[in-house]
Parts: sequence; C-alpha cells; structure tokens
Amino acid sequence: MAIIKLISVINNAMIEFEDTIIGAGAMKDVYFSPDKTYVVQFIRSHINETTIDRLMTIVKVYHPRIFNQIGGEYWNKLYCFPYDIVVHEGKLGLVAPAYQKHFFFEYGSKNNDFMNIKGKEKDGKWFASANLRSKFLDDREKGNWQSYFRICILISRAVKRLHAAGLAHSDLSYKNVLIDPSGGNAAVIDIDTLVVPGKFPPEVLGTPDFIAPEVLKTRTYAYNDTKRKTPCIETDRHALAVMIYSYLLYRHPLRGGKIHDLDSAKDEEMSMGENALFIEHPTDASNRPNLNDIKQTFLPWADVNKIPYNVAGPYLKNLFDKAFIDGLHNPSSRPTAEEWEIALVKTIDLMQPCQNYSCEQKYFVFDNKTKPICPFCGTQYRGTLPIINLYSKKHNKAYGADDHRLTVYNNQALYKWHIFKNIFPNEKLNEADKKRVGYFVFYNQKWYLVNENMPTLKDITENKLIPIKSHVELVNNKQILFDDSDNGRLAAIQIINN
Amino acid sequence: MRRLPVYLLLDTSGSMKGDPIESLKNGLKVMVSSLRQDPFALETVWLSIITFDTQVKQIIPLTDLETFVVPEFNIPSSGATHLGKALEELCHAINRDIIHTTTEQKGDWKPLLLIITDGSPSDIGIFREMTPIIQNNIFSNIVACAAGSKAKTSYLKELTQNVYSLDTMDSNTFSSFFKWVSASVASENMGQGSVELPPPPPEIQATVI
Repeated sequence: MAIIKLISVINNAMIEFEDTIIGAGAMKDVYFSPDKTYVVQFIRSHINETTIDRLMTIVKVYHPRIFNQIGGEYWNKLYCFPYDIVVHEGKLGLVAPAYQKHFFFEYGSKNNDFMNIKGKEKDGKWFASANLRSKFLDDREKGNWQSYFRICILISRAVKRLHAAGLAHSDLSYKNVLIDPSGGNAAVIDIDTLVVPGKFPPEVLGTPDFIAPEVLKTRTYAYNDTKRKTPCIETDRHALAVMIYSYLLYRHPLRGGKIHDLDSAKDEEMSMGENALFIEHPTDASNRPNLNDIKQTFLPWADVNKIPYNVAGPYLKNLFDKAFIDGLHNPSSRPTAEEWEIALVKTIDLMQPCQNYSCEQKYFVFDNKTKPICPFCGTQYRGTLPIINLYSKKHNKAYGADDHRLTVYNNQALYKWHIFKNIFPNEKLNEADKKRVGYFVFYNQKWYLVNENMPTLKDITENKLIPIKSHVELVNNKQILFDDSDNGRLAAIQIINN
Repeated sequence: MRRLPVYLLLDTSGSMKGDPIESLKNGLKVMVSSLRQDPFALETVWLSIITFDTQVKQIIPLTDLETFVVPEFNIPSSGATHLGKALEELCHAINRDIIHTTTEQKGDWKPLLLIITDGSPSDIGIFREMTPIIQNNIFSNIVACAAGSKAKTSYLKELTQNVYSLDTMDSNTFSSFFKWVSASVASENMGQGSVELPPPPPEIQATVI
C-alpha cells in the first residue's frame, strides 16, 4: 500500500492518504490518512465551477465561522465537517475528520453477530425499525429510550447551528447522521451537500423517507419553474421531524395503510409527496397502519393505538402536530430545530425509570396523570412520586408557571438550568454551570432534596433557609425557592401516591 | 411492508461445470452477505433463483434475505442453454409470486432481474418470443451479465441495455460484480432511481448500446 502526500489547497497543509478505498458512496471514494484520524473523500464524477465554488465556500468560509468561535470545539463531536481540500489526478478531495469509534458496531447483531455487521457503521435505519431492532440487533447496541432523546437533542442542536449560519444540510437521512445509541452520541456527516440559500442551489433531492412532500410533488417540474421546490432550511425541518419521530417510535410518521395508486412506485411518490398524511392524524384516520398487513416483528410499535405519539410527552406531541399536521404541506409552520431541542430537553425532565427491571425501554415519559403507567411494558408506578412544578418571576414580579415539570426519581440530579430561568443546557453552557447543584434521594420512605450548591435555597412553606449540605423533605403542596435572585425559580411540589 | 423481489436467472449448462459454477456460488454468497449488512435491503429484498440448461427450474422460490441460502447447483455434463424457456418460467414465477397492490393492501415493488450466462440461448425462437413480454413494464431494471470469453452479448442486448461482460469467471471477478449488483439493489431499494449508482468495479466492461 502506497501513501500519497499532497499539499492542501486551502490551508497549505500536508495531507497524506493510503491509496486503498475504504468506502464508496454514491458520489465519493473515501481514503484513510495513515494515522486514521482523517479521511480524504474524492468526488468521483466531473464537477462544475459552481460545485467547486460551493465546496470552497463550505471549507473556507463556513467551517471557520462555526468552529473558530468561542466554544467552537463543541461542534467537533457533532459534525464531520470538511476542513481542507486537495486536488489529485484532476479530482477534488475533501479532507474531513474520520468518524469516531463509537459510530461503528461493537457487538453488531444477535447470536454472536450472525448478520456479520460488527465493525460496520451504525446506519440509523437499524435503530429506527421495530422489526430490525427486535430480530437482529444485539441488545447491547440498542441503548435505552432515554438514549434516543439525547441523540435527538444532539441532532437538533447540530441542525440548529447550520441553520443559524444560514445553511441547509439538504440531505438529512439515516446515512448522513451517525448515531450511537449505546453511548448516546450523534454526528451530522456528508456536509458537502450543504446548500446556501440564494447562493448555491441544492444538487440532491434528498433521501427517500426524508424528502419533504413539496419537493417530491414538484420534482418533475421544469428546472426554471418557480413552483419547483428544492431542499432548503424548511425541508431540513421536515427531515428532522421525521428522524426524531422514527428514533423515538421506531416507525415512519407517513408510512401507513392508505393506498393512493395501484402502481407501487406512484403510490410511494404520492404517500410521501402530494398526498402525504400523518399516520396518527386525529381526524383523518385513513392512513392508519394496516395491522393485517404488518409482520409480528413490527409490533407493538406499528400499532398506533397501543403506542400513540403522545407517549413522547406533551411538548413533543405539540411539535409533532406542528410538523405532521399543520406543517406537512405548509413548510413555514414546521417547528425549527431549536424548538425541537428545547422540547426534547424539557421532556427529559418528565422521564421516569420504569420500575420493571426487564422493561426494554427502561424509561418512560410521565403522562401528567395520577396513576403513571409505563406505556411500553404496562407496569404501573408503585409508591410515592414527587413532581416539581417550576415557576419564575414574570413581568409583574409575581411567580408564574413555566410549563416545565420535573418528575423525581432516586438519585436524580438538579442542575442550574432547573433553578434559573435564564440558563439553558446547550452548547453555550460553561463548565461551572454543568455541575450538579443538588440531588433527590428516597430514604426511609421519604423523599428529600439535598442542597449541594444553592446558597439561598429556602423552604417557603416553613419560611426557613436550607443551607448547603443540608436537606429538605418533599411533601405535598410544599413550596421551595431555589434562588432568591430575579432569575431564580420557585418549585411547587405535588406528591402522587399509588 | 413492500417487498423488492429480485430474480436471478443462472446458466447451469455444461460449460459452467467446475470452477465457473463455484466462482458464481461464491459471488452469490458475497452478494447475500453484503445485502444482509444493509438494513434497508434486509427489510425488503426477496430473492429467487431460476436455473437453465436443458432443463429449466425455479430452484429457490422467492425467499426473504434473512433465510435465503445459496444452493448447490447440479450441472449436466452437456446439453442446451434454454434461456428462452427460462424467461417463460420466469413469467410463470412472477404470476405466482408477486403481490399486487389492491385497494386493501400495499403490493410489492417492481422486481429486478439479473441474468448470468456464459454462452448464448439454444432456443432463440422462444427467447425472441419472450423478449417483448419481459420488456413490457414487468421489471424496474434488467441486468444481464455475459461471463467468460465464450459468452455472447448480442442476444442479451436484445433484452436490455444493461449488459456487462466479465472476461474471466474467477471468484474475484464474480465477487466484485455481485458487490456492484448488491449496491444497485440497495439503491433501487431506497427509491425509484433518484439515487445515483456507484460505478461498476473496474474489471467489468459496461456494454452500452
């Protein structure tokens, strides 16, 4: 094996690669650097001036714009963003970081990897299909339900950043977003399809399952027809919503039982395009999955009556409604990536560990009912369950509800983003704010909040300060002030008893 | 769940005896294992094998990828290459196997057809009778492969534009051919041809009319 050395076009850096193809996509051949830390992706076909200009702009303008800011290193784990360009034998090669190790199967499939996928990339499709999960994947690869929330948060955040820079990814799909459920990681790859609205037009339509309805509907229109819709930020929002729905519910939101045409290809095009209809549409049930036509291995997830989308909690239900009811054919109504990020983060606070140790999902979202039941294994919550309702000072200085609840479990941590209304856990959070400020513990049949770092924590009901290193018991209707500053939150406690 | 049926028409005439059929089998194994590593293919691809020599037989009925096993082939020591009759049998198989979309149920994707032969049809009459029927919108794609130096591409070109020649019939050649086929099947599977195929590996000469 020979090693080829080149001087890069953008940064004048020495780029080396081994002359053996390690992977081939539809457009690119990929080569490893000798130390395996980066790859060079050569674009196979001839590319025109516009494409060259576009790729140069991605590497030269947008890479530094995202990575060279304060906190820019945060994005290294969320993207495989090309950072340099080489030219070899007339072909243009993008230099990008190699995929991190956790994006390759460690165990692969069941029964000692009988499908022989160990070491292969974790294509998201493996995790988004109830059938593939139950039949093939090794349990150690699957993570738990909470892992998929974390993955969806990371994906939303990565997409949010691209959109904030004025970029559209244009081809978000299982293949272009790597995920690692067992470790809770995700990264957006194939950044070279990036679209700069108004400047560089898209070169791909996207990937089936993720293409927005308006793009499929108008794809046969003439290129210069202004009604022809192509990938943009709003179509990314559709793809993102589909991805989140699929990773949380292991089914596709638009793939139901409705027959649009007797020709399979036309039927597919209509069901994802012009006639796309949410399988859980509240008033139009015509696209509900046809359970007579579904294999056992897709159940229970394919049964939307057993596992409706509201198992993902109220905040996400609201966004799924916006994405697949209001915004399906009305792109401007689709939720933004940031709305998804916020709703997902808030939903994490509603999660409860299932009391059934053999429950496959391990966590479920509290359904705001007095008798919580895990929707996946049917186990009812036993015992007392404290619920913390968060309030903060509004304009009139009175404490108003934040529409934010925290359901408590043993050893659960309390963070600054719970106790201050102006702190949010995202890429901008500094190291000091990532530290736990307290935790909840169940001891001698009672629930306590232990104060670790809340200097002005106060039991309002008893009118008593709770100093650091001491604790307060959680009882029904108790009010606790986390912090006495203007941004500090107040907690009103409810206790459910079953 | 829609299935993507893939029909393999394989030449088992006398000239395939020995190394060529072993290499072909090896290639098939490569194809099956690489398709199994593709989660999209794993959920939709179904395979069937029809062999043709003097006899024509659907030796593997349409089977899902998960349970499909590459069979042993019985090669006669001599005889005819009845590709025409194989196409006839293929039409029967399609009539038996394919689930059509109805107002009640989603049917199969249009099937794919792959033909591999190392010679030319002995039953040219039937072959030419069957050609227009096969071409009549049954398949989403037909790929024909002329393997070895004696294989004639001219008849295959009457059937499809996608004719590939393999100069040799060794294991490597078949393996890389089948790897390419599985990439094509996988991308067919992703949609209706909106995805560009990777190019065939360098050992394969694409013969385009």
